[in-house]
Amino acid sequence: MKATLAKGTAGLLLLAAAACGADAKSGDGKIEITVSGMPPSTQAASQKDFLKYVAEFEKANPNIKLKPTDAQYDVKTFAARLAAGQLETVFRVPLTDPQALLKRRQIADITGEMNSVQHGSDFDKRILAPATGPDGKIYGLPTEAYAAGLVYNRKLFDEAGLDPDKPPTTWDEVRKDAKIIAEKTGVPGFGMHSTTNTGGWMLTTLTYAFGGRMEKPEGDRQVVAFQEGPTLQALSLLKAMRWEDDSMGAQQLRNQDDLLRDFAGGKVAMMMGAPNLFSSFKTKFGGDAEIYGQAALPLGPGGGTLLGGTVAVVSPKATPEQRAAAVKWIDYYYLRPKYDPAPASERTKKKAADNLPAGVPQLPFYDEAISGPVIQAERADSNVPLKNFDSYVTTVGKQEFVVEPPVAGQELYAALDSVVQAVLTRKDADPATELKAAAEKVTPILDRSQR
Amino acid sequence: MTAVLERPATSSRSSRSKARRKRSFATAFFLAPMVLVFACFSWWPIIKSALLAFQQTNLVDPAQFVALENFSNLFADPLLGIAVRNTIWFTALALIFGFPVPVFLAVVMSELRRGGGLFRVLVYLPVAVPPVVAVLLWKWFYNADYGLFNSVLGVKLPWLQDTNWAMPSLVLEATWAGAGGTVLIYIAALTAVPNELYEAAESDGASIWRRIWHITLPQLRGVLLLMLLLQIIGTFQVFTEPFVMTDGGPEDSTVTVLLLIYRYAFVYGDYGMAAALSVLLAVVLGVLSAVYLRATRTWSAS
Repeated sequence: MKATLAKGTAGLLLLAAAACGADAKSGDGKIEITVSGMPPSTQAASQKDFLKYVAEFEKANPNIKLKPTDAQYDVKTFAARLAAGQLETVFRVPLTDPQALLKRRQIADITGEMNSVQHGSDFDKRILAPATGPDGKIYGLPTEAYAAGLVYNRKLFDEAGLDPDKPPTTWDEVRKDAKIIAEKTGVPGFGMHSTTNTGGWMLTTLTYAFGGRMEKPEGDRQVVAFQEGPTLQALSLLKAMRWEDDSMGAQQLRNQDDLLRDFAGGKVAMMMGAPNLFSSFKTKFGGDAEIYGQAALPLGPGGGTLLGGTVAVVSPKATPEQRAAAVKWIDYYYLRPKYDPAPASERTKKKAADNLPAGVPQLPFYDEAISGPVIQAERADSNVPLKNFDSYVTTVGKQEFVVEPPVAGQELYAALDSVVQAVLTRKDADPATELKAAAEKVTPILDRSQR
Repeated sequence: MTAVLERPATSSRSSRSKARRKRSFATAFFLAPMVLVFACFSWWPIIKSALLAFQQTNLVDPAQFVALENFSNLFADPLLGIAVRNTIWFTALALIFGFPVPVFLAVVMSELRRGGGLFRVLVYLPVAVPPVVAVLLWKWFYNADYGLFNSVLGVKLPWLQDTNWAMPSLVLEATWAGAGGTVLIYIAALTAVPNELYEAAESDGASIWRRIWHITLPQLRGVLLLMLLLQIIGTFQVFTEPFVMTDGGPEDSTVTVLLLIYRYAFVYGDYGMAAALSVLLAVVLGVLSAVYLRATRTWSAS
């Protein structure tokens, strides 16, 4: 009897295994693609607008059927959804991710489809770079682009007797202002990211600002470059602010969201960040728009700033027809408002109708002739206090944009999180020693990734 | 589960074979949904992940067998040793502080003549709070600038902001969050201790400590040993606390094995390496449990 039961169980197991592994198959005359990024129903006007574009697109392209979803890219569910075949044909990822995704071949090469994109050859190369592979092929199209800057609390500046319209333009001034704010108001003058890889990410930004790089080419491969002067300079600055000036508070171990929450609550006066932080600042953490000040990143000699934003990418499981349809949709929905003022204005109005920050200054994708009218249109319908972004907007155009470290960026960031944490939580931590330890962690990973 | 299956088999050995077959069919029939669910959501993933430990995959192309490469990469990671050390440290601290607390609370509460119900609710309450919520709450308590603990205690302790303090702080939260369930189990076990034993001891003039030491604890032995094993297994898999509160910091002082597995899989996209470490953890816990059960078999039986 036990044998019967065992056989039955084994049979059921096989059945279950078959059920688990079953693949969904679909097929009719039209090319069907799923597109993520539909605004949720809580943003009624924007969602209606999105669906209107979907309908118009389907009308203009009768052989394509779109299936919109309101899914957002989440690094925690990405792998499972990809494996299960549930990933949308078109989805958007933050600028930190395309290099790792394209290396793992988890996003599709769309170089061949680029000629169908309007103004496809007019892109500012700096904006395309983050989604361009080492082989020169293109794996994604930008949908938003920002350069890291300095976010500051205008009210605290005022309370400390500093001019909110004159944010610091050098790191010496940042240090000086942070100290004044901490002394006058008791609020930490400067906050630094240090967990979930954002510590390494922002140390990278600070290194770029001081004219350095995290990785450098040596022969045909990338090697660690953060043991050179600029990173050390960045860490020494943090160390001095934290321990000599006591202008960074005792609470550290924060990622970007933690820091922004504290910033929105008036518990930190300055942090590094791009204008896209304004949206979370206002909608997620309930910050007062009037206190938000956005300055460009102070740069040392030869310095540049880190490029951020989002990129629309295509599922690696898409067929060539689906890929072509996907790129067509990306161009139609995401890129058109970047070169055509009419949809740009419309999109901004709909966002404002949903009480979402609309018309937050971004980096132009093309030259002045194409992008200029679009930016004008967005500014006209914007509902954000644009004057608080003035010092950013007037400066950022002249800055050099640098992309993320090309190889194993997240692994490098993780190792540097520890370095930032050491400098911020341990008074006797020596930046050079910490960087040496990080280099020992990162070097084998770089070697392995470039095998 | 096997114990449940075998029982009808032994009891029906004397009955006729036809009836037996009928009953076994019925058993299989009623068992089927459960087996299916377990197979689909538990055993199949276990088999798949064990296989994954020897593969490299991007979840798009067919997975490739790479023999032991995942394991060699794993042992080359300097963080592995740190994570193992941290996890053992967490387990040890949780044993030293977290294990006696519920025993103590249970004994005290079972001695109470009044208000026992209220205390049981109060002790169990933290278990009812969703873990992530509790951890986030404690993260605020621990805030070094504006936190509740520092302002109530009037001190300037670093809590999570210091390599030496971070782990004990996590253990404190975990003990608070986990004690309730264990306390209830101990209280239930205490009600099974015959009252005559206490009465006899009392009439012999035994003090309260002697009664606890010589009657309560020996009578609880079986439950204590089981809870100890469950706690060791549970604490080896600590994840929520370091993930939400510290992300392994400061300076990797709270990176645990499970946090490392999470990073391999979801931050670095190296699913093979994550599976390899998971398999290793399962093997270690399996061996640990076997050794423990063998070593304590005589104690709990007597």
